[in-house]
Amino acid sequence: MSDTRLPEPFTDLEPLAAVWALATETERNQQRLSSTMAQIQAFYDTLLPRMEAVLTYLSTFPPEPPDTLPQEVRRLLYLALAMAEITTAVELHQQPSVPAGFEPRRFIPDHERGKGVGG
Amino acid sequence: MQDRVHTHTNGKRWTLDHPELGTGPLPITPYLSAEYFEQEREKIFTRTWMSTGKKVEEIPQPGDYLVLDLAVGKTSVLLVRDKDGRVRGFHNVCKHRGNRLAWNDRGACGAGLMCRFHGWTYAADGRLVGVPEEDMFFDFDKRDYGLSPIATDVWEGFIFINLDPDPPETLHQYLGEVVDLLRGYAFDRLPLSWSYTAEQKCNWRILRDSQLEFYHGKALHQQFAGKVMINKQQPSCHVLDAKLFRRHSMMSFYGDRRNTQRTPMELLMAQFGASFKTFPSARDMDRWPLGVNPTRSKQWFFDIYYIFPNFHLVILSPFLFVAHTMLPETVNRSTWNARGYFPQPTTAAETVTREYNKCLARDVWLEDGSTLENTQRGIESGVLSHYPVQDQELLIRHAHKVAEELLASDGQAG
Ligand code: FES
Ligand SMILES: [Fe+2]
Repeated sequence: MSDTRLPEPFTDLEPLAAVWALATETERNQQRLSSTMAQIQAFYDTLLPRMEAVLTYLSTFPPEPPDTLPQEVRRLLYLALAMAEITTAVELHQQPSVPAGFEPRRFIPDHERGKGVGG
Repeated sequence: MQDRVHTHTNGKRWTLDHPELGTGPLPITPYLSAEYFEQEREKIFTRTWMSTGKKVEEIPQPGDYLVLDLAVGKTSVLLVRDKDGRVRGFHNVCKHRGNRLAWNDRGACGAGLMCRFHGWTYAADGRLVGVPEEDMFFDFDKRDYGLSPIATDVWEGFIFINLDPDPPETLHQYLGEVVDLLRGYAFDRLPLSWSYTAEQKCNWRILRDSQLEFYHGKALHQQFAGKVMINKQQPSCHVLDAKLFRRHSMMSFYGDRRNTQRTPMELLMAQFGASFKTFPSARDMDRWPLGVNPTRSKQWFFDIYYIFPNFHLVILSPFLFVAHTMLPETVNRSTWNARGYFPQPTTAAETVTREYNKCLARDVWLEDGSTLENTQRGIESGVLSHYPVQDQELLIRHAHKVAEELLASDGQAG
């Protein structure tokens, strides 16, 4: 686990980042699928009240590639991307996976393999 | 602006405008029969313009290339930008003894593409330019052994190919009315933002049909779309418009995005970027391309354009569209590529809003994906000999007719 901290205003979110600040969609999706709904809900409930501040902060940084961002900002971005990942679980499905959905592992994200798709 | 939803569509049955299509059930045989598939291969997929799913910006520089393995054409296709900037297509087959020429999915061939077998080298325009020990051949002229071209053309940045060496019509002739209807849409300004590929053990028609109707919206996508589609005043209002062309078709769907409960994340996403469910500003609607929300309804959900045989464009707003490219592999295997085109983020916060839209689209596609192999197994059971088709499935009915006509033709697909 990375020992980089989150940016100063968000250090209280450190326990969430330790679990969820993952660099790729596949990793974040796997974290979602291997979590209980209670864990996902707790993540959502903790981050949601801070999300406006997080996005306001991230608005002052360029979009990509993420490795041009300072390490702690990148970590905050990954945390926010994980929030985007789990939102459908909370707001749509009320369970970690898509109910009776196609296997995510067989739905290959080309954009993670550098196939001409922006980060 | 007049909202035609309230005047024209309730109770309308679009199918009845097309008596030549009938209203009867459709046969299952085309989904199952290996002989039928072989006919489709010969008379459809090797004779009509087909989407590669790729866009010109994926091969930006002269010499940049992409490789597409095309089982349905029994070939591998090399798409390459030549030094004049033109996108060309070739069989990815070395003309010496037939080895595969380019081995990578994509690459750049600055000084030319060299075959690994004996080192023949080809320029980006297909000319054979290098033959080691050329003087050891007999009566040999390099000009006779350039790469075999594949008809290749571009519409709105999308690359199409036609395996017919001498297509009877140009891509733009083939696309017909669709060209004008979508002219002016932001195809050139929305970058490819996400792309998923899935192999499916199902016939290509099952995959094709799954994105060709939205009767399934209220059930399969109940959480995402169910409420949007409810119309209390006019419960049978689903389709705002439907246009059937010679080969292609489109349907425009009713949906009232105000019916959705705006969730906390969605509100935040709309505040910092764009959200799937936000209705685009109606103010500018008159300036939209004629074919996007053609009835100019304020209760517009999205439009499907089906470019026969293997390309679906789903236009959800001026800033978001989806493109599905579907390719048969065998009678019961297909490849599905689903892509989202969305504005380039300008800040790290917009990277988050793009991720939200991507994950939402992905989860909806996982719902679609759940039906494909199950449907294949279902029809392989032999329980169905035909199936009924309701009004919102009109484009499927039309697509069957189009295929039947091509299969009945003597080969002059036009
Ligand atoms: S097969 Fe390509 S050089 Fe011989
Ligand atoms: Fe769907």
